[in-house]
Amino acid sequence: MEPQGPAPPPLLRAVTSSTRPLYQLLKSINFTNKVHVEITENGLRFAADHARVMQGVAHWSRSLFTSYTAHLTRTPTRVEDAQEGDDEVAEPIIPTFQISLPALLETLQIFGAADAAARQARADVDPYRSNLRNYRSDAFSNHTLGMSGTCTLSYPQKGDPFSIILDENGVSTTCNLTTYITEHANGSGEDDGDYNDNDIPFDKEDLSFKIITHARWLLDALAELAPAAPEKLTIAATKTEPYLRLTTASGPLGSSTVDFAKGRDLLETFAVRRRWAQTFKFDMIRSATEAMRIASKVSLRGDGQGVLSMQFMVEVEGREPSFLDFRFVPYAVCEDDEMGEVGEESEGEGEGEEEEG
Amino acid sequence: MVVLNFTLSEEGVVVLHDALACMFKFSDDVCLEARKDKLTLTTLNISKSAYVCFTFAANRFFSRYNFEGTPQYRDRFFCQLYIRSLLTIFRTRQSGGDQSRDRDASIERCDVAVDDGIGKQSRLVARISFRNGITSSHSLPYEVKTPTHAKFNKDEAGNHWAISSRTLRQLMDHFGSGIELLDINTDDEARVVNFTCFTEKVQKRGPVSNEAVLKKPLHTNIAVEMDEFDNVQVQDKLHIIISVKDFRAILQHAQMTSGELATSYSNPGRPMKLSYGTDGVLCEFILMTVGEKDAMTQKHKNPRPNAAKAARPELDSASHRGSSVANDNQQVPPATASKPPQQRTPIRSRQPGFEIRPQPPPPPATDRSESLFVNQADDDEQWEPVGANEDEEEEDARLEWNATNEPNPSSLRIGSYMSRPAGSHDARPDNLISGLDPTQPLSQVRRFGLFSD
Repeated sequence: MEPQGPAPPPLLRAVTSSTRPLYQLLKSINFTNKVHVEITENGLRFAADHARVMQGVAHWSRSLFTSYTAHLTRTPTRVEDAQEGDDEVAEPIIPTFQISLPALLETLQIFGAADAAARQARADVDPYRSNLRNYRSDAFSNHTLGMSGTCTLSYPQKGDPFSIILDENGVSTTCNLTTYITEHANGSGEDDGDYNDNDIPFDKEDLSFKIITHARWLLDALAELAPAAPEKLTIAATKTEPYLRLTTASGPLGSSTVDFAKGRDLLETFAVRRRWAQTFKFDMIRSATEAMRIASKVSLRGDGQGVLSMQFMVEVEGREPSFLDFRFVPYAVCEDDEMGEVGEESEGEGEGEEEEG
Repeated sequence: MVVLNFTLSEEGVVVLHDALACMFKFSDDVCLEARKDKLTLTTLNISKSAYVCFTFAANRFFSRYNFEGTPQYRDRFFCQLYIRSLLTIFRTRQSGGDQSRDRDASIERCDVAVDDGIGKQSRLVARISFRNGITSSHSLPYEVKTPTHAKFNKDEAGNHWAISSRTLRQLMDHFGSGIELLDINTDDEARVVNFTCFTEKVQKRGPVSNEAVLKKPLHTNIAVEMDEFDNVQVQDKLHIIISVKDFRAILQHAQMTSGELATSYSNPGRPMKLSYGTDGVLCEFILMTVGEKDAMTQKHKNPRPNAAKAARPELDSASHRGSSVANDNQQVPPATASKPPQQRTPIRSRQPGFEIRPQPPPPPATDRSESLFVNQADDDEQWEPVGANEDEEEEDARLEWNATNEPNPSSLRIGSYMSRPAGSHDARPDNLISGLDPTQPLSQVRRFGLFSD
């Protein structure tokens, strides 16, 4: 599959016949200009970061591709800048770079455009083709037949552009996207699997609550709150009635609250160790709405430090689900602020440590 | 203490939303007024030329309605709110789309409560329960403000007609895009009602003296047979002109209700009332009509007795004609050579428009007694003239709407109210507080040391 020749095999070569899931996943973290890309043996990981208080991670697992080959160089020692390091042993060096996210999204959208253009051309030629229901893909379109061309991603070696070759209907489009050196030195794959040093720390050992619900509900809840253009959003998870509550503080147009009080039907998993309430910037949470739209389920978790993690499960038909991961850092709470905001909604429930099994 | 609370069904929310959306085309805020038996939403546009009133019957529109009089609000409660924020709350939610499971995110019920009292935050709280179990509650601050109601004198308005609002809405499709004004007039010989739309003409000094051209030289006339109407009783050839924008906004809402739209009006420069109702909701609109300058010009050019029409049946509605007094102090504008926008109508057709019925009281001493708007006190008769008990503390709140007092009647078109030279200009201090004029000669400022020589 990969071209064998005198040149070393490319670091990455991946082929897929549909860019749609790739596009959808990436689009949901489309809140920054540049994303960090990491190439691992299991897929590509895209991390978008906003002012170090919000982070969104999309993962293109290798199952989204028809073929996926990553030739990662391995070094015995942990050298930061491993250029050559051909000695094979030990840990693979995970290549990382930054790439322009809008450009990448734009590129992925090209795919399928040729097919539509071809259909249009055929419609022009064939006068008997009705232009009624033109939106339907016809039975013999390339797309329906599953031979809609290929999209090849490749990253030959460090420093090279990330190239995307779209091949359909005899039209081949090659896009080379400039890669940038990452700002933060990568602390080479030593840390716990998925996350590295640049991530917002989230303590999985010290979870305050974990709630799994339909992503759609969360989207609806935000839609309820959004019209008043609030600045801050408080998310509170409690053991008793309104189990999960989203509140916006009173702005000029008033304040709003959304309760998931009928928890039995709404929340799939519900575990609260202690009452957890943190305030976030509303616009930040709202940048995750695209993820809420495409995902089927969301897992909300909060740790002892107040960091909120939202994990979205995106079901792609015929393949294993993909995950999107968001983390948010809350506002620091000043003494008097806390009195005002938390006191208002504590609902007479005893705060503090109420350990639960 | 809960002053007012009521519950709306899902359909009720839709109806309320439609009403608010209609009002939003007129104004940014709405006055809510609650009584034991009804809830009234009113608004007045910024130029005070259009007034909208929706009345919801307590027992028919709401699934539950309860008004508790408090010492402060004994028999009615009133407040003013932003329409924009209400619109986002009382909107329909999609029912979850194709997911057929119990994922129904549509509204199950909507409880609204107004909580007020000493030591309480005054808020209107709307609590919406969705079918999927999520509840959202919104609390809105409101302003306590006595609502302003427009007066409309039913006895004065002798002209009326009614038509199915759907039919009328279809006529609107023929209106062009850039038009401003709508002239409604009848032609008894042809048995038609004409809807003529056009734009305001702009005065342009051409080579020929004072040519008037239309900004958009399109003049659309839609003639509708009188059989389409019910209960037509209009003076022949009476031209009544209203703003198309307002009319559109009304019809947009009216078509959603399948009822009949009834109008009544008297003369140009006097208000026109449009109303229609559906199950438990009464919608009323009072629009100011444009007083005609051109018409007056015509009148003086062509004073022709109107006796020939005396036998017409609708004249009885105008039995009070014949007064020599034109509207209070309508001045005679300088006769210009400009043609009226309704060029096609015969000149004498203007006649009836000028025979304004005599004002009941002798010519008023102040503008105030002529005001169209009164601050409604505790009486229920909002369409009646001002009561005598109105004049104590609400003097300031009372609105004026005396179109005929304008120095230039042609500028009376709806919407231009704000642009007229207001008396407040005189009151403006001509000096800044510092005692300096906004601009000074440079020499004067030098002494402040701001500029080095």
